[in-house]
Amino acid sequence: MNSTTTQFVPSRRMGLYEPAHQMSMWGDFRLDSPPPPPLMLEVNANSNNQSEDTFGASHRNDQEASKPDDKVLRRLAQNREAARKSRLRKKAYVQQLENSKLRLIQLEQELDRARQQGLCVDATQLAYAGNTNPGITAFEVEYGHWVEEQNRQVSDLKNALHSDMGDMELQIFVDGGMRHYFELFAMKVTAARADVFYIMSGMWKTSAERFFLWIGGFRPSELLKQVLSPHLDDLTEQQRLDIVNLRQSCQQAEDALSQGMEKLQFILAQAIADGLLREGNYLPQIGAAMNKLEDLVRFVIQADHLRQETLQQISRILTIRQAASGLLALGEYLQRLRVLSSCWSSRPRDVCVSKI
Amino acid sequence: MTHATQFASNMSIGQEFKNMQRQLSSSAAGAAECKSMVEESPVVVVARRGCCMSFVVRRLLQSVGANPDVCEVEERHVDELARHLGESGGGVLMQLPAVFVGGRWFGGIERVIATLIREELKPLLKQAGGLWL
Repeated sequence: MNSTTTQFVPSRRMGLYEPAHQMSMWGDFRLDSPPPPPLMLEVNANSNNQSEDTFGASHRNDQEASKPDDKVLRRLAQNREAARKSRLRKKAYVQQLENSKLRLIQLEQELDRARQQGLCVDATQLAYAGNTNPGITAFEVEYGHWVEEQNRQVSDLKNALHSDMGDMELQIFVDGGMRHYFELFAMKVTAARADVFYIMSGMWKTSAERFFLWIGGFRPSELLKQVLSPHLDDLTEQQRLDIVNLRQSCQQAEDALSQGMEKLQFILAQAIADGLLREGNYLPQIGAAMNKLEDLVRFVIQADHLRQETLQQISRILTIRQAASGLLALGEYLQRLRVLSSCWSSRPRDVCVSKI
Repeated sequence: MTHATQFASNMSIGQEFKNMQRQLSSSAAGAAECKSMVEESPVVVVARRGCCMSFVVRRLLQSVGANPDVCEVEERHVDELARHLGESGGGVLMQLPAVFVGGRWFGGIERVIATLIREELKPLLKQAGGLWL
């Protein structure tokens, strides 16, 4: 994967799990079961030695002819044997732990890779309605491909900007980048019609991206404020003015849509709450709410429409090179959010050092 | 009108909404009333009663200095409306909420957002006499 994302290797997770937990997770090793065959031989070999000791001891005992000593010596020998067996079992147990630790690291790496590709495989995702909606399943698969393509485009853009590529060629990258985002918006329309709550909750995104969610996606004004404006140095006076105007228009559109959403929430809550504590079923209320939810789909569509228009206006204001930089900045920003999500979810939760 | 003001008294942005309502000549109207409003007023938003998108459209128009009148129709009048406004409208597939500027169909929420972002909305409204500055 020639992406610029970091492969997160959680190498610090040594001895994170307590022995008891470990055993219940990987139950193929049990302390109460007999030691695995290879060790048996060792034990047998030792017991041969032991019998020699015993023999020697008993020989000595015979010579001394004192029965109490004989018992004591036998007991000591048995203790030695028990200790040896215990050490061997502990060794086997530690070996099992080490193997399991390696397996865990492997699984976590796979998980991180999947997360970075935007396929949320965490518990919250799995808990979501069993995910039996074919429209949503299709969307998730498509989105996975979208992120892969996105990562490719980001590194292509980076290389293109560092080379002495001309504007004509750079334009191709810019157009491709823009088109890629528009494709995502088109995908989201279909998905919103399949399950608008899924889109509104940002379920296909990583957790850090979801934190910044606004009506099922990123906030265009934030894009201008945080990602673009600070990193575009060589703007002309006219460009600066145009960006200011764009930010203002964007903000107004966002405010209008946000307030419309508040109104929709209010109406929806009102529809559901109508007739609480009254006799009779609440099917009419559910029916009324279902009708109102159609409006929610329109909000998602219009929010994406705003994102698309904003991106297009940005590309009109900026030069080709500036637009390429802007697209790269946005791509990198989203990548960082995804990595943040991975790192956060796989951070060591307890300071639980192994006592082994 | 009562339906709309009921919203206003319950909402957190209720006060702002109330102010707007006083400026707007709103009516749970029939198709004919809508048509006359469209012909008489410089900027009109025609929408279904209780439509949240209509609220968004109005806010956007106000953000560029327009003062749209609102014609709210009941669901049962919507088809009739399409016929009445057909001549001045954008054809049968006119979606609500619909904006009319200078008696002519301007577009829906999508066109309003697009023209706003492209800095075209204000000049277009001015051109059609929808703003007075």
